[in-house]
Amino acid sequence: MITIIISILIALGILVFAFLWQTTLSGITRKIVGRYQKRYGPRFYQNFRDIFKALSKRGITHGWVYSFGVIMAVGGIMATVMFLPLFGIVPFPGVDNFFIYVYLFAVGMLGMAMSAVGSGNPLAGIGVMRALTQMVGYEVPFMIVVLAMIYGHGTSSLSELAAIQQTSGFLSWNLVKMPIGTIVGFICLLGMLGKKPFETFIAPAEIASGPMVEYGGKQLGMLMIMHELATFIEISLFVNLFLGGATPIVFGETTVLVGLSSVVGFLLKYSIVYIVSALISNALGRFKIDQVIKYFYKVPIVLAIIQALIVVFLGWGV
Amino acid sequence: MGISIGVGTIIVGLLISAVLAYVLTKINKTTGAWVTVLAPFLALAAVFLLRDSIGTTYSLFFLEFELTEYGWFFSMIMLLVFACVSFFNVYWMKKMVHPAAYNMLYLLALTGTLGAFMAKDFIGLFIFWEMIVWSSMFIIPFGKSRKASVVYYAFSALGSLAMLYGIFYLYNAFGSFNIQEVLKLAATDTTAALVAFITIGIAGMVKLGVFPFHLWLPRAHGNAPDTFSPILSGGLVKAGGFAVFLIAVVMPSYEAFATQLQFMGVSITSYIFILFGAVSIVVGTLMAIKQDDFKKLIAYSSVANAGYIIIGLAMTDALSVGGAFMHIFAHALASAAAFLAVAAVSHRTGTTKMSELGGLIHRMPLTYLVYLIAIISMAGIPPMAGFISKWMLFQSMIDNGMVFVATAAFFGSIGSFLYVFRPLSAVFLGQLSPKHYKVKKAPVLMMIPMIILSGLTVLFGIFPNIVLRIVSRIQTSVGMEGLQFDGTKIIGSNGSLDPTLIVVIFGIGFMIALVIFLLHPKSRKVELMDTYTASEFIYTPELLHYSHSFYAPFERLYKNAPDTSKWYKAILKKVSEIGGFVSYAFFSSKPRIVVFWIVIAMVALLWGGSV
Amino acid sequence: MSKKERAVAKRKKKWDGISNFFRANSIWMLMYCTGCCAIELPQAMTSKYDMERLGMGPMATPRQADVILVTGYLSVKTLRRVIYAYEQMGEPKYLVAFGPCTINGGIYYDAHPVIKSLDQYLPIDVYIAGCMPKPEAVMNGFQDLIDMIKRKEANGWRKYQENKEWYRENQIHALGELRIKDEFHE
Repeated sequence: MITIIISILIALGILVFAFLWQTTLSGITRKIVGRYQKRYGPRFYQNFRDIFKALSKRGITHGWVYSFGVIMAVGGIMATVMFLPLFGIVPFPGVDNFFIYVYLFAVGMLGMAMSAVGSGNPLAGIGVMRALTQMVGYEVPFMIVVLAMIYGHGTSSLSELAAIQQTSGFLSWNLVKMPIGTIVGFICLLGMLGKKPFETFIAPAEIASGPMVEYGGKQLGMLMIMHELATFIEISLFVNLFLGGATPIVFGETTVLVGLSSVVGFLLKYSIVYIVSALISNALGRFKIDQVIKYFYKVPIVLAIIQALIVVFLGWGV
Repeated sequence: MGISIGVGTIIVGLLISAVLAYVLTKINKTTGAWVTVLAPFLALAAVFLLRDSIGTTYSLFFLEFELTEYGWFFSMIMLLVFACVSFFNVYWMKKMVHPAAYNMLYLLALTGTLGAFMAKDFIGLFIFWEMIVWSSMFIIPFGKSRKASVVYYAFSALGSLAMLYGIFYLYNAFGSFNIQEVLKLAATDTTAALVAFITIGIAGMVKLGVFPFHLWLPRAHGNAPDTFSPILSGGLVKAGGFAVFLIAVVMPSYEAFATQLQFMGVSITSYIFILFGAVSIVVGTLMAIKQDDFKKLIAYSSVANAGYIIIGLAMTDALSVGGAFMHIFAHALASAAAFLAVAAVSHRTGTTKMSELGGLIHRMPLTYLVYLIAIISMAGIPPMAGFISKWMLFQSMIDNGMVFVATAAFFGSIGSFLYVFRPLSAVFLGQLSPKHYKVKKAPVLMMIPMIILSGLTVLFGIFPNIVLRIVSRIQTSVGMEGLQFDGTKIIGSNGSLDPTLIVVIFGIGFMIALVIFLLHPKSRKVELMDTYTASEFIYTPELLHYSHSFYAPFERLYKNAPDTSKWYKAILKKVSEIGGFVSYAFFSSKPRIVVFWIVIAMVALLWGGSV
Repeated sequence: MSKKERAVAKRKKKWDGISNFFRANSIWMLMYCTGCCAIELPQAMTSKYDMERLGMGPMATPRQADVILVTGYLSVKTLRRVIYAYEQMGEPKYLVAFGPCTINGGIYYDAHPVIKSLDQYLPIDVYIAGCMPKPEAVMNGFQDLIDMIKRKEANGWRKYQENKEWYRENQIHALGELRIKDEFHE
């Protein structure tokens, strides 16, 4: 009983850290994007202001499912974050299965979709349709690559997959062992994050921000919290699966120093992945939804299957 | 009382109650319908009490029954579905053309399934199997279409004949009809095993609706009476799983085909079956996405889910068979609940076309919740029972390194989010059409079974070990390795899962979200029509409801895909041509043909006489 | 006012003070770009003046927005839409009016379908002067709005709530019918 309570406390700590870190990083990225466009950009804590402002406003509700869906969405995503290992700390050892993240994440997504369509706006319906269609695109190649990885390493535990990559430095990262898989993973990550060119379901100029069309006030604030947490899940999945997780950048005898440097290492990789995806997003235009599907079923899925066949039949990258 | 309850008693009791239901319905419709409610419940209690006497054999006239672990498991699922669905019969009596016949056939179908699951020999299995086919064949035309029944019978006949051939082949080879005995002997003889595997396998695939035999399923499910669709999808289809289980696991196929070429950890024969499963996942998913009829959509989703079941059974390792059993169980509960929700909607609104409905959550909130729980389970999202089974199946697919099969399974799993969300959005959410302003809640008696099924889905999603322990016992009883547990944890081959913990953590997440929600200013309630329209004034709710061709951009990508029904139409044409020739040649009343045959016969006789 | 009510009011005031800090620095706009002043917004938004450093950004729908920008003259037809959009916004909400057209009709002072004085129909928090206002003036106006929110002076939405009958009367007087069934036969 005591151990489970401690685990839950650790998980809550991870939750709080995830929110603070990703919200700050989003602000920093907005600043970087601003500079990229020769602007000054907002303060780095702008996203906190936005979230708390939205929470403090008095919005509207379209019935119980509209609010219930939002609570379910935030609850589902929070639960997913609480299962995530962070810096090698695993709140619930042994059960941090890859599939939990994929499917528990879906609870949150379902809640949001339900709430959005429950608002009775057709644009929300179109947005959800696009989000789900896009999900069929990016999720399948991503899962095939992870299948290859689990088959190769013999474990589906996220923390163990990260630990395996920390055995012999840079060369044991899946980035090096499964380069094709990493490319697929990154393309799918752009799809998951809804970054351009895969921004079909938000599309503010086209379908008035899709699922978000009717939100204002605290529901919008909660969905912004959910968005930050969801981004945290997606990027830390990518970092843990392909970039070795929390690898130290300083080597030596002192465990404290190595431990701290591994925290820095994780956050560094995390920031690079997020900022690069944001920059790519700012340089590209938007695909149409059928182009998204055609693209995902032409390039990434073929590459993913090639990668999986290489791992399964040739045994390379294990 | 002195009467010990046995399988024979239950079956005779059900047969008597079928006749009783017929007679009583002729007198009073409602009374007859209540017989169909009571009989499955009594049978459910009786079979549940028989848990301790597993392994006993019973005899009834010339038929022998044996209560096996797996037979008990399948019977319980079937009785649960029948018992829950039967509440709906009471409301459908007025709409039925032949209520008396319906009630009798309903109970006969139940008797057929129980008999098939508990039969000791192949003859019993075949007789009861045919009982299922015939009784459901006569029920289906009570619904919308007669043609559906013809299609159903054509496919079922194919399955039954294949099975009959297999049974006689096995009898010829081993001189016995006893299921266990014959299958164990067949395992030592590769040729016999192959024949049995293919013939009985085809019977199972037809019943499950696996590609390429999936065409009857949407037709029959979509057109059957609303009360019988849940039985077909939740119950009778799962009998196919039983047949596949017999030849894949009881035989067992991994011993029988040990000398065959092994591919991806299974024999090539099993792999072909698995591939059919994979294809049916993809076909079922794609077809389900583009349906407009609520019932046909769930019917195609049953095709996709049948794919998972057959993959799990044909892979024959502990996790996959466990996963398949859990999937049979979870999908039976979920699809029955979903079909019952459809039936409730159809009872109140009179249509199952999704593009005509909308916003029913404001009128039927509990039905909405039932459907929501059902689809969460069908899509394999925690904390429902469907997640556990999908997780187990994925584990063994990855272990065997089945890249292509897993691709199909992942596609089906993510694709299921698409098709299960569509009715949720188009029927229950969105704008309420003015013609449905006066729709009332589902009646209380309809709510009871729906709530039971949803409750069980949630319960076994949180504590799946209750079912999995029984599954594990089934596995040990057929000589397999059982599933491993550690408290509430299920131990997989490359990781473990703790469903109870997931629920606890989800609960904590939900509570935090709820607190955040309650701490902040209360929202203003607005009408559904007060929504963002770019400041345009719109007064027609239907115009603001997005339900027609929901996934149009996605459907467009595969609209030119080959259609299986065309192959069958081509076969049909050839068969009717041959039939036309036969009837022209042998059953003609034209004198010249009769004279022609007489001449031929005379010549033949004279020829024979001279030798 | 009872003791409990006063305590609630006090807590609410304190909470509002904290909220106003966030509100002042995160203003999401809904641009109602019917008039010519809208052409000044792109400059104010992009690299030359960079509105985002004040925490401002464009939003897609009135539900999400905090401030509605009425950029120039309004005809009878568009006023209906502005009122509809304004009423869909969540509270607190602000309205910024651009140019002289919103004060007295500007160069359209004698055009019959143009609304002369917007503050008769909707509460205005900030006017921005100029025909059209230069981007500097636009930025200055937004800075004013931010200062007003901080000082709790941007209370147009409260005024609208309290004097709803008066506003409604004016609106109906000008428009005849607030929400029309068929605009092609008005």
